[in-house]
Amino acid sequence: MRAMDRLLEAKPGSKVLLLGNEAIARGALEAGVAVATTYPGTPASEIGDALARVAKDAGIYFEYSVNEMVATEMAIGAAASGVRALTSMKHVGLNVAADALMTFAYTGTRGGFVLVTADDPSCHSSQNEQDNRYYALLGGIPLLEPSSPQECYEMTKEAFAISEKLELPVIVRTTTRVSHVRGPVTVGEIVPGLKKKEFVKDPSRFVTVPAIARVRHLVLLEKLRQAESMADQSPFNKIHRIGSSGRLGIITSSAAFNYAMDAAKALGLSVDVLKIGFSYPLPRSKVIEFLKGHDSVLVVEELEPVLETGVRAIAQHESLHTKILGKDDELLPRAHEFDQAIVASALSKAFGVTGSKAVEEVVDLQGLPVRPPVLCAGCPHSATYYAVNKATNKRAIFASDIGCYTLGASPPHSAADLLVCMGSSVGTAGGLAKVNDKPIIAFIGDSTFFHAGIPGLINAVHNGHKFLLMILDNRTTAMTGHQPHPGSAKGPTCCDITAVSIEEVVKGCGVTWLKVVDPYDIKLMTETVIEALAQQSVSVIIARRECALIAKRDEEGAIIEKHQIDQEVCKKCRTCVDRFQCPAISSIDKVQTIDETLCAGCGVCEQICPHKAIKGVK
Amino acid sequence: MADIYLVGVGGQGIITASRIIGDAAISAGKNVLLSETHGMAQRGGSVICTARIGDAYSPLIPDGQADLILSFELLETLRALCKSNKDTLVISSTEKIVPLSVSTQKLRYPTIEEVGIQTKKVARDFVPIEARRLAEDSAVPMSSNIVMVGALAGTGVTGLERRDFEKAIEMNISRWVPENLDAFAKGFQITSKWNRA
Repeated sequence: MRAMDRLLEAKPGSKVLLLGNEAIARGALEAGVAVATTYPGTPASEIGDALARVAKDAGIYFEYSVNEMVATEMAIGAAASGVRALTSMKHVGLNVAADALMTFAYTGTRGGFVLVTADDPSCHSSQNEQDNRYYALLGGIPLLEPSSPQECYEMTKEAFAISEKLELPVIVRTTTRVSHVRGPVTVGEIVPGLKKKEFVKDPSRFVTVPAIARVRHLVLLEKLRQAESMADQSPFNKIHRIGSSGRLGIITSSAAFNYAMDAAKALGLSVDVLKIGFSYPLPRSKVIEFLKGHDSVLVVEELEPVLETGVRAIAQHESLHTKILGKDDELLPRAHEFDQAIVASALSKAFGVTGSKAVEEVVDLQGLPVRPPVLCAGCPHSATYYAVNKATNKRAIFASDIGCYTLGASPPHSAADLLVCMGSSVGTAGGLAKVNDKPIIAFIGDSTFFHAGIPGLINAVHNGHKFLLMILDNRTTAMTGHQPHPGSAKGPTCCDITAVSIEEVVKGCGVTWLKVVDPYDIKLMTETVIEALAQQSVSVIIARRECALIAKRDEEGAIIEKHQIDQEVCKKCRTCVDRFQCPAISSIDKVQTIDETLCAGCGVCEQICPHKAIKGVK
Repeated sequence: MADIYLVGVGGQGIITASRIIGDAAISAGKNVLLSETHGMAQRGGSVICTARIGDAYSPLIPDGQADLILSFELLETLRALCKSNKDTLVISSTEKIVPLSVSTQKLRYPTIEEVGIQTKKVARDFVPIEARRLAEDSAVPMSSNIVMVGALAGTGVTGLERRDFEKAIEMNISRWVPENLDAFAKGFQITSKWNRA
């Protein structure tokens, strides 16, 4: 079976290899989801991508929404009407969606509503490693935490049932090591669910004016008591026994469970492992029983001590004297993801065992050339950054944003001085402009502009901030895997979409100075940046050029004008290496060359070579 | 249990290779877990995949515990050696993708001899594969990853049958299937002499 369609075609009872994120998609399909939405973000993107691929055949509605807030609101509208709805996002996306989610817990839902948040311990591809389990506690929202692709599938499916039973939204929380793990999943049957349902008006529940909200909060608290007894009954909270039953215990969840199991086995430990899959509300009775049956319990969880704090509170309340160990004892760290070695070390210290195999000879990797993520050959962002630095002579302060273009933060472009979150370039540029005399330039991608940049731009116009906003429009959401955004004219087969013009939006925000420039035209871009910075109000340049990877894919077979360096003419000045930095250009033993297979034919190097040594070759 | 550590550079088809290993394991009726770490860049950054065949819970391979390192790029081979022990077989493509840091920081890219010497210090053996040339010989120049999967299969370390891999290739590759199977066979043949079975 082809990888592309195994998601839909896998027969009930068969075992298929699925990514954790694909397993979530399959679980939602089997649960009869009617509406699915997302804004792409690593490590959650493949949930939406998988559903986009199969939505048409599966007869469900799927969309890439403008941001996580709207994605969540879309799902709320559908679920409040009575159909099942799924929305998925990366952890920081939930910050954007939180406003909607917190109050939706008050109104509750009619159809099953499941929000998937994919957290990223170790910030593999994120600006922070916040622990989104706190959102469950903050909002009073039941929480499921899968550890494997099989559980991603099972828990997503069950989450819809729990949501409908409690009439509450449910969060499924993964981490990178759950979402991005591929493993065997034994699937069930896809049962088409209700696709349409007329919204029955009930303002005393769904219109959260203060008088109603006060009442609904009490309703929520009562539902959480029911949720606690469901957690106590849940098969996702169960004990795994390693070796002969002992007096030692581990309480764990999510990816940490996997490391705990492997580490305990490698150490030859006899230990009981209480795996918490339905983790908010905590299965109180199960925890009490487990604590009573063990003398010493280590809580193993990544990031924040959420389980640990809950377990300690239960023990205190029940006057239990079981020794509870964890982050408070500094046996396990509060930062970065775990692995087997970290958990093995904590187990050794907690339970006084040894047995970790010493590492044999080690190879010295000092001085090995690093390979950090870089902008691709032919990337229009590289060209833009080169021109901006030329225009400003590196005097400007750069407010950056979230996207591929963030990779321009490293030298030689050094094109990021301040970065916090999606859309922040525009807002922070205003603040920078008020207190700095240097030129301020904000960089934002096209998808990010639609996501969260527009209010910042309106604010800049309204309050008269003076900075240059450069919208780096590569016509796609590139970093997460080339998903469409509101400016896109075409999307996946499922989506009938209309392109929204960035120019018209910018003008509609009240911007009077706007230019659209092709970043490959270094001279024009440089001059335009200089002109823009001379304006007395906010100015906007749309740097428009399709992502080089998309262009390469669409023009497969077309003749690309590969570039070469004429070694006779080259003066070895290293301008192309030191000031532009294209992955296709290398300098080995003082000789600069262009790798023909990598060259995208953008011709920017030809424009910047001071000695005209670089030429296109047909 | 067989722990395979795959490394290389974004765009080399490492994730596809790991999926083929995964599907091969499932068609052989074995458990398998795969992980992928690829950071922020679409292309050009270090990529790490793991394939654990057997009954592990975590997909990550602890340091010094890989049974086989399958490296798609020479420099990345060195970076992967933390996962090696004296019994680890290291199969490395001879392909070089020079990182920008070599040019910008004026660093030196290691020679294949140096990589071989370093590897043999900590591993059972170093097996260089001219994956790109072999893929070109099979008329699928983009399929050096399939040559590497063949080289993995040839060693027998996975405990999987040749036909399991071939079936998995057919599941994951849509174009030029006979040519890709030929590329697989070329890799398979080279490493057969390291097969201990």
